[in-house]
Amino acid sequence: MKQILLITDGCSNVGTSPVLAAAHAFQEGITVNVAGVVDYGTIGELGSLEIAEIAKAGGGVSRIVGTRQLAQTMQMMTRKTVVQTIQQAVNKELKQILGDTSLEELPPSQRSQVVQVVDEMTETTPLQVALLIDASASMKPKLGAVEDAIRDLMLSLQAREGMSELAVFHFPGRRSGEDAVMDSGWTKDAGALRSLFQRIQMKGATPTGPAIMKVIDFFRYGTLNEHETWRGHADEGEGMLGDYVV
Amino acid sequence: MKEKGCSVTTSSRPAYPAGTVITGKWRKSRFIIRRVLGKGANGIVYLVQKEGSRVPYALKMGFDAMDLQSEVNVLMSLQSKRKASETAKGGPRMSYLLEVDDFKSPDGDIPFYVMRYIRGTSLHHFIRQRGTEWIGLTGLRLLEKLNGLHRFGFIFGDLKPENVMVSDVGRVELIDYGGVSSIGRSVKQFTEWYDRGYWNAGSRTSDEGYDLFAFAILVIQLLNEGELKAAASQHLPQTRNAGQLLGIVQRSPKLKMYAEWLRRAIRGEFASSHEALRLWKETIYAPAIAGKLPGKTPRWLINAFAVSFMIACLACLWAFLS
Repeated sequence: MKQILLITDGCSNVGTSPVLAAAHAFQEGITVNVAGVVDYGTIGELGSLEIAEIAKAGGGVSRIVGTRQLAQTMQMMTRKTVVQTIQQAVNKELKQILGDTSLEELPPSQRSQVVQVVDEMTETTPLQVALLIDASASMKPKLGAVEDAIRDLMLSLQAREGMSELAVFHFPGRRSGEDAVMDSGWTKDAGALRSLFQRIQMKGATPTGPAIMKVIDFFRYGTLNEHETWRGHADEGEGMLGDYVV
Repeated sequence: MKEKGCSVTTSSRPAYPAGTVITGKWRKSRFIIRRVLGKGANGIVYLVQKEGSRVPYALKMGFDAMDLQSEVNVLMSLQSKRKASETAKGGPRMSYLLEVDDFKSPDGDIPFYVMRYIRGTSLHHFIRQRGTEWIGLTGLRLLEKLNGLHRFGFIFGDLKPENVMVSDVGRVELIDYGGVSSIGRSVKQFTEWYDRGYWNAGSRTSDEGYDLFAFAILVIQLLNEGELKAAASQHLPQTRNAGQLLGIVQRSPKLKMYAEWLRRAIRGEFASSHEALRLWKETIYAPAIAGKLPGKTPRWLINAFAVSFMIACLACLWAFLS
């Protein structure tokens, strides 16, 4: 199971629409969740609308929280999405077996058995979560809390019976054209997630959409630069991207 | 109700007023709401009466069918295991779970279950009203409850004072089984303060030590909430650690009596909750042998001890010389 968890505090302002990018992710079987972090004042109508729409297009959930509740919220969203994804898959199976019915319509005794299966799968299905962190200037004072929340999420994932991995990215990159930077590749080790963001130089631009596209690539190829993969063909990557432009 | 794949869940559904009749969709039982008992992490609990009966029950309406059913599954599994062990011992007991059903409300079906109503106050209110000398006994009974769960292969998970009900004679019951998970699985639901992971003191995997850690925090909270609060808020999350808790235990005179137990629970040194239960018993009954409950050792006992010590010394001396 694959998830992207976007942590941001406002609107994107460069490149592809993040809602479109999230829809692409969903198409690829990656659920997109969004945590909007606000400490002072509100996130703005535009910002909160965008956050909700990204999550909707990405088949996930969104929450707007202060830094204090961030850790708890990230953990809750991840778990909820795992359950939801499995539940959707199970509901689909149910429809095939029982016709047009869903979990809620089953009598309690049968529901009990279905939920048992969902619980089992929630705990054991392999899970990969890519965290994508908005490191534009306004996020700077919140990055400490973000880092703590990431470690906390790792702790919860480590407790699962199934394999769980985390990767961390931030955006924008150091130079223009670099839409996302990898801070940590797939890891199961909380120790690897120490002092992630110390070297970040904050910039004003917020290319949320392009950054999501980059992370989709990472899920596909295991790197942010397609030409470095074992496939070794930059043009193949280009071809894939070309397909997106409908 | 939940919209699939959408970002909105309504967890703040308003409670139903007293007098509302809840009719089960499947079993057709009718329950009349008396009042709201409380709001849990995944549902609202009402005090109800079954129509035509005066027996009070607690009825929990879930926010989410999946979550509530998962909780019901745990309760059913617990109930069947309990029944099996009780018929072996003889003597049936009133079952915890009465009915599981759905309520057809104007905004869609709401899943609910009906359980035994436990009259009482939550632990922290009880201790505030009755005094901290009740901690020994209520703690013992709580540990017995936890140990019972552990024996059946579950841990409680979300242990906190709000989830512990105490009757007016000090009987203890756990409420809100939403956080109960099988040993070896990940902890389903927890509250920051009481969470071992929050204090960087261990994993979030369900084991007996997880509940014992939360129990230790609960005891510290009941006796020295101020310092616990300070420790939780002063330190950065990455520097928060078990050492700070051990420091509070060390410093606080009110915690002295339980210090050894708390230290072992915080360090995760108990092999099982059975062992923890035994040490708790020894802890709270040790001073009772010497007279007043947690009070000081009485004078006569000290004198008697001094006399016996002197006799022993003289005897040794005599044996040595001869």
